[in-house]
Amino acid sequence: MADLLGIGVLFAAVAVATLVAVWLNKSVIPFYIVFGMVLSPSVAGQLSVAGYGLPVVESTEFIELGAELGIVFLLFFLGLEFNLDRLLDRWERITRAGTIDLAINFGAGLLLGFALFRDPLAAFLVAGIVYISSSAIITKSLIDLGWIANDEADPLLGTLVFEDLFIAVYLTIAAALVAGGSDVGAAVTAVGVALSFIVALLLLARYGTPWFERALQTNSNEFTVVRAVGITVLISGVALAIGVSEAVAAFFVGMAFASTTHTHKLENLLEPVRDTFAAVFFFWIGVETDPRLFAGVAALVVAAVVVTTPTKILSGYLGGRAYDLDPRRSMRVGLGMVTRGEFSLIIAAVALTGAGTSLSSEIANAVYSFTVAYVLVMSILGTMLMQYSAPFEQFATARFGAE
Amino acid sequence: MDVTESDLPGVGKKHEVDIGGGQQLVVVTHNTGTRELYLKESADADSEKLVELSDRMARMVGTILEGAYFQPVESNHVETMLSEGTLLEWYAVEDDSPLVGETLAGADIGQRTGVTVVAIQRGEDVIAAPTSAAEIEAGDTIVVIGERDNCERFEKLLAGDL
Repeated sequence: MADLLGIGVLFAAVAVATLVAVWLNKSVIPFYIVFGMVLSPSVAGQLSVAGYGLPVVESTEFIELGAELGIVFLLFFLGLEFNLDRLLDRWERITRAGTIDLAINFGAGLLLGFALFRDPLAAFLVAGIVYISSSAIITKSLIDLGWIANDEADPLLGTLVFEDLFIAVYLTIAAALVAGGSDVGAAVTAVGVALSFIVALLLLARYGTPWFERALQTNSNEFTVVRAVGITVLISGVALAIGVSEAVAAFFVGMAFASTTHTHKLENLLEPVRDTFAAVFFFWIGVETDPRLFAGVAALVVAAVVVTTPTKILSGYLGGRAYDLDPRRSMRVGLGMVTRGEFSLIIAAVALTGAGTSLSSEIANAVYSFTVAYVLVMSILGTMLMQYSAPFEQFATARFGAE
Repeated sequence: MDVTESDLPGVGKKHEVDIGGGQQLVVVTHNTGTRELYLKESADADSEKLVELSDRMARMVGTILEGAYFQPVESNHVETMLSEGTLLEWYAVEDDSPLVGETLAGADIGQRTGVTVVAIQRGEDVIAAPTSAAEIEAGDTIVVIGERDNCERFEKLLAGDL
């Protein structure tokens, strides 16, 4: 299939996915993934209707780069909306709720990952995958349900901010470990290089504000977008070239822009750019997935769902209590945190790059299909739990009192 | 009045306004400019969504609430307190006012009421700091400064009741 036609099918497919999401009133992310899976060579490539082959989207270099840009812009936005002063302002509560969340879920993830895959690196990746909740889907649900105006929004969004900061550090280490191979010395060097690069970016974000300020000093929206994209993608590219996570680099570039006066303008102008490439990323995740492998990981997914749903509800509940909320609202925080999404998939994409080197390709592919299936289940389960929260709230009130 | 502001990372800002009786008005301002208005019946209650407004619409409604579109007070009597007891007031001159046709000196406003005329608004024009020779016409709006008592005397003078 001609290249442009392939891209056309991709964008048409994600456009239809948005229609389906609106029609069913659900978050669009799972639909992007499912549409990608359906049009992948492993599904549409195997089927034919009345003798005609279905349109198939191959994972071309363009789609892979588009997906990479999706990751870069997702993390760039995280950095852009990440405000250090905001975090320090509520530091005590956010760290308390965030630490509970980290200890319970990352800890459970490590044990679960090791039990499922019998490999320390795979366990480390699974821990990240089951730890990180989906900022995108949870925030959308908060707005849809009107919880955004309630007290439970504070611990939910606060914990997500903590998770985002942790995941920036985590991705640095994970990318270095996966790239470093089984050689301990090489892995240590890779982590060292990655951390130094991150420190350099942190210093740039901290002291480079005047430069970033001037770089975007223009009245033209066009120039603002082009310059911001140029700076972000170049620095991310440099990061990847020296073996550091491009996502983390983008996060710190976003943070650097966040301290300029252009933040609000950038958010408005770059949001469509992010959403376009994020759609490509989720679609690519689907294309790379062979649903036939789901059968092999079904037991693992069930185990993960059974373990990590209660752990998130528990950590969220305790986090809500750390914010002095009553049991009912704390229960909502727990239910709200269950949804996993985009960042788990980014970690899965990292796992895939280690196939055949630091991870056996069998384990890498299993971790990948496991994550896609897990995210599909958790994104739907999490939003359902929020929508039908009433019985859980009654349980919490009955069990722990109304206060 | 108690207003609390909090950040909603990735969404925008939230303002909670105590409107008395335990009720709270919650305004969620999205980064996109959209405003959502919620009402909380009590501190523990769930927020009930009232409306969602686009940026333009919200500003429109805002100016109405602010009173810039319509002031629910008599148009010929708008007062501004300069300091305790001293007012800056606007008075419309009716057609049948005895002051119509008089100059400021002739009406002897200062002596008779104690207020100072600081401006006369005539149609689109404003005569700032009018001289004693300035003549009062029907339809003018006279802006004066004075103590509350003096302002009330001037109002009576203007209506012919003094």
